[in-house]
Amino acid sequence: MFKKVLIANRGEIALRVIRACREAGMRSVAVHSTADADALHVRFADEKVCIGPPPARLSYLNIPAIISAAEISGADSVHPGYGFLAENAHFAEVVQRCGLHWIGPQPEVMRSMGDKVSARKLMSAAGVPILPGTGVLENDRDAEEAIERIGLPVIIKASAGGGGRGMKIVEDIDRLHTLLAQARSEAQAGFGNPAVYIERYIARPRHVEVQVLGDGTKAVALGERECSIQRRHQKLVEEAPSVALEDARRAELLGVARKATLAIGYKTVGTLEFLLDEDKRFYFMEMNTRIQVEHTVTEEVFGVDLVREQMRLAAGEPLRIGNDIRPRGHAIELRINAEDPVTFAPSPGRITALNLPGGLGVRVDTHIYTNYVVPPYYDSLLAKLIVRAENRPAALARMRRALAEFVVEGCKTNLDFHRRLLANADFVSGRMDTHLVERMSG
Amino acid sequence: MKSATKKGSESKGKGGAKGAEVRSPETAARAARSSGIDLETVRELARIATELNLSEVEADPSGRIRVRRRLGGRRVVEAKADSVSRPPITLAPPPPVEGAPEPGTFISSPFVGTFYRAPSPEAASFVEVGDTVRKGQVVCIVEAMKLMNEIEAEADGKVVEILTRNGEHVEYGQSLFRLAKS
Repeated sequence: MFKKVLIANRGEIALRVIRACREAGMRSVAVHSTADADALHVRFADEKVCIGPPPARLSYLNIPAIISAAEISGADSVHPGYGFLAENAHFAEVVQRCGLHWIGPQPEVMRSMGDKVSARKLMSAAGVPILPGTGVLENDRDAEEAIERIGLPVIIKASAGGGGRGMKIVEDIDRLHTLLAQARSEAQAGFGNPAVYIERYIARPRHVEVQVLGDGTKAVALGERECSIQRRHQKLVEEAPSVALEDARRAELLGVARKATLAIGYKTVGTLEFLLDEDKRFYFMEMNTRIQVEHTVTEEVFGVDLVREQMRLAAGEPLRIGNDIRPRGHAIELRINAEDPVTFAPSPGRITALNLPGGLGVRVDTHIYTNYVVPPYYDSLLAKLIVRAENRPAALARMRRALAEFVVEGCKTNLDFHRRLLANADFVSGRMDTHLVERMSG
Repeated sequence: MKSATKKGSESKGKGGAKGAEVRSPETAARAARSSGIDLETVRELARIATELNLSEVEADPSGRIRVRRRLGGRRVVEAKADSVSRPPITLAPPPPVEGAPEPGTFISSPFVGTFYRAPSPEAASFVEVGDTVRKGQVVCIVEAMKLMNEIEAEADGKVVEILTRNGEHVEYGQSLFRLAKS
């Protein structure tokens, strides 16, 4: 494989990659900002290079500094982790042009899947269902025709928009013209562009995603993950497998994901994200062209080291996992964040006391330790608590037990939120959608 | 040797496009004509220089091109409350070093790279221990991404210690020289 891997990241994922390197007999180079001089990824890597001051744009997003660090340390490859530069096709190209191996997919694939419109086109061409919808509407007549085709309810969205502004849900065709007018003027006021389009509206969607691996000529779909427990599009809990899928529907979903991966000639690991409607029909949302935070639950049920496979595939080795592989048991991951449980505001500070849970079937991926100071500059993820058991009820029981052992003092965390979630009847019975957390808080 | 020179902007490292200008286009054009380098080449070089925030580009008709980037050394520490819009290369105070003398007496590397004490292998070092340096004087080069970055002293002082050997790799913020106030 590689001889020396530079990890262009920090926190638990940097540590995760360092561990994979060490087990595979590769040397690792940590890069860090001055704020992370005492971080665990810096201590556990074979070499370290300080690349800049605390703000990420001057350190972890600083491409020249990272390339220089690779140069002076003699690294032959770069692992981007997740976040920061992980989905930056330009960075991937610079890495390759500098004669280094990029531990990720081909930059051109990253670029085309990074653009929503081109990703939708590519996936649609590969036979992946996408949410029925329109392009920008020329007039109200277009909208009526679209609704005849799609059916109600639909959502009107601002073409230039985001964050809910300009969005109108149409449940009654008589209200269409009024809502279109409102959406256009909100879009004009909010984004300076009145263009709107229509998409089928799913009131209570689930977020289900598929882990894929490819070597360019072969592809495998390594099961799905249920990620419906979110707050403001930030995932908080992930599970594998999803309780929402019957075997036949699961086989269909995994088959589609595998074919799509093959169609784009995808190399290394990636994730196809889908929305699942109330009738369990699935629609492509987007592809993440990197390792994900929640890769751990897939690792737990399939017994596969995904980071190691990612590095093998990046080195040009053939895919060695077949589509006959089956998951065993059930895994759940909780994201433990440094945040105020009420306001959800980040809560940096010194960790004065820490007890991490352990025991059978419990895994904690974390970079924190007693007296570690959580810096205010980066994201608030402190730890991932993962459990595996023979089935979902057993995994829930194990998670409750592990949560009871988890102690963090000195900064606020969302541990109590997770304890409440594990007592929530809907979550426990598997009746969940992406709005469940809102309903819990409200 | 005729050269097409482009002066860097005074705003250190500010992203590229802003502030950089070619010193007197007429001079550059005359220089270009008499040296056999065509104007388009000069324009292209100026564009590259702006893009990469170079302080100097030197080209001769044989096709040899030399580029330089001039940056201040570590800003002498102290501590106006920084506004949000600080320029990217302005440096944070050095990480506290145990038993270190007062701040402001070190020149540190503004980025990751390779430390050189002289402009070329055969040339004399920019400074030696015992030398007095003036603010703005070039004290060393840090090579990063094939660019020779000249590091300047940001205050007057006397070099009392050179903390890094020629050709060694340096990290961001690593101390290169210790200065005594002169």
